[in-house]
Amino acid sequence: MLVLTRKLGESIAIDDHIKIVVVQIKGKQVRLGIKAPKETKIHREEVYDAIQKQNSEASQSDINDLYKLSEELKKK
Amino acid sequence: MKVKTTRFGELDVDKKDVITFKEGILGFESLKKFFVVDPGDQTLILWLQSVENSSVAFPIIEPKIFKPDYVVKLLPIELNSLELENLADANVYTVITIPPTVTEMSANMKAPIVINNKTKVARQIVLQDNKLEVRHKMYMELKKYIVNFSSDDSKRTRVELAISVDNATATEVEVENHNEERVSRINSNTAIDLQ
Repeated sequence: MLVLTRKLGESIAIDDHIKIVVVQIKGKQVRLGIKAPKETKIHREEVYDAIQKQNSEASQSDINDLYKLSEELKKK
Repeated sequence: MKVKTTRFGELDVDKKDVITFKEGILGFESLKKFFVVDPGDQTLILWLQSVENSSVAFPIIEPKIFKPDYVVKLLPIELNSLELENLADANVYTVITIPPTVTEMSANMKAPIVINNKTKVARQIVLQDNKLEVRHKMYMELKKYIVNFSSDDSKRTRVELAISVDNATATEVEVENHNEERVSRINSNTAIDLQ
């Protein structure tokens, strides 16, 4: 992994069109500004973790829970 | 071809129904081949069953059923990777989790599964919209739909209309084909439901 040191207000460029600026440093928090073309997807990594966890739980679904759901949905 | 599954036993799957996830599904990158199992029950939940791993199957549901205003916007590069020009030729599903307390069920609105109906290429796409939830609680929405749907025939017409609006961006011919396919499937589910 490439590691760079930046000061407040400084930035790094990725390729020709992506720019990441250090906007604010407050204690243990760093605020970043990201300038990128519209088609670039930017997510916090937690989003991917949450999706993986949801997929993993879904993949082990118990078919009996689905029968239970079906019964529950029939109730008026 | 015959496919063994832990939930549904051995199934006979037509090769043309096999869906290819070139990049796998998040967390399941090694699994590329899936197919859709329709148990035909009233929950309207389908299963995305792995060909390569008999025990991996994701319960999925069309988000339009419980959230009619849900819109998936794909970038040109994403449409490209799905070999699509627009979403008229695609089916969109959300992955759901059903915990033992079934009323706590949720759907992943943030990362829907998009399947190209013609080429059967598919991807799970993480949408940029930050308001979309990975675990959207939708039991009440689904229940409301099912109660309405099975007790009132006029609602069926409403569903068909919703689908037409959904495909408004497609060319006319594509819209017609697509509608027939979807409506017939929804109707067949209802038929089972009424037995």
